[in-house]
Amino acid sequence: MTASSILTSVRTPLKTAIQGVAANTYDSVPESPIVPFAAVVPNTPYLEPSFLGKGNVKVKVNLIMTVGVAIYDNQSALDNIEKLVISILAAIPSGYEVGDVSNPIPLNIGASEILACEIQLSTYYTQTN
Amino acid sequence: MATSVITGRDLSVTIATKNYNEQAQSATLSADVTIETYDTLFSKAYRSIDKQWTFDLEMLADWGATDSLCEALWSAAETAPNTTLAVSLTAVTGAVFAFNVLPIFPSVGGSSPDAQTVTMSFTVVGTPSETFS
Repeated sequence: MTASSILTSVRTPLKTAIQGVAANTYDSVPESPIVPFAAVVPNTPYLEPSFLGKGNVKVKVNLIMTVGVAIYDNQSALDNIEKLVISILAAIPSGYEVGDVSNPIPLNIGASEILACEIQLSTYYTQTN
Repeated sequence: MATSVITGRDLSVTIATKNYNEQAQSATLSADVTIETYDTLFSKAYRSIDKQWTFDLEMLADWGATDSLCEALWSAAETAPNTTLAVSLTAVTGAVFAFNVLPIFPSVGGSSPDAQTVTMSFTVVGTPSETFS
């Protein structure tokens, strides 16, 4: 039996679930994301042990989904990121706690400026094998 | 003696022969001891007259899961409320406590958007038996 991993059990399923609503999705920190995008990255604290026993490693996994859209003008960029966030919230699968969404802020990635915000997510993971 | 540290990671809980470490976040066995105090002409006298044990368990709700504890407890509380369930609580390797509890209905639901949790306080029937090695 193949050993489980947070990538295959937590981050990739999350990425897959939102692929229908976000044009570009990433399950790790992208070097140069293409807008509009959603990227699943670790939050802090990232892994929280919270269960009894030590036979298996069981942790609460805290994640951030960073969502970004292009800034052509402020009004449309805000409208676009609001629509994208609402669509993503609807697509997040069961088993994930959905937390707050941060305020959108402009970010410079490479030569381009984007409008980005963060969705706090968490779930639970048990290592098998 | 050297300092000894044991943590919640050393705990293990089994209810009706099934282990629920994957769901349980806290398990505590405690006793409420009733001690009477008597004022005598000579001095105060103390006498332990009764004790009631309680088993408190906090866990992630597991409705719908295979071997769900929530569903097993609900069924037991509904169909056999006076039939005890055997519990084994290992504090650490070499310190195991065995006792029986009466089934209770787990709470259902929770607050959005958090994971649903269940907090239960079981009445222990009789006195736990301990195994120290």
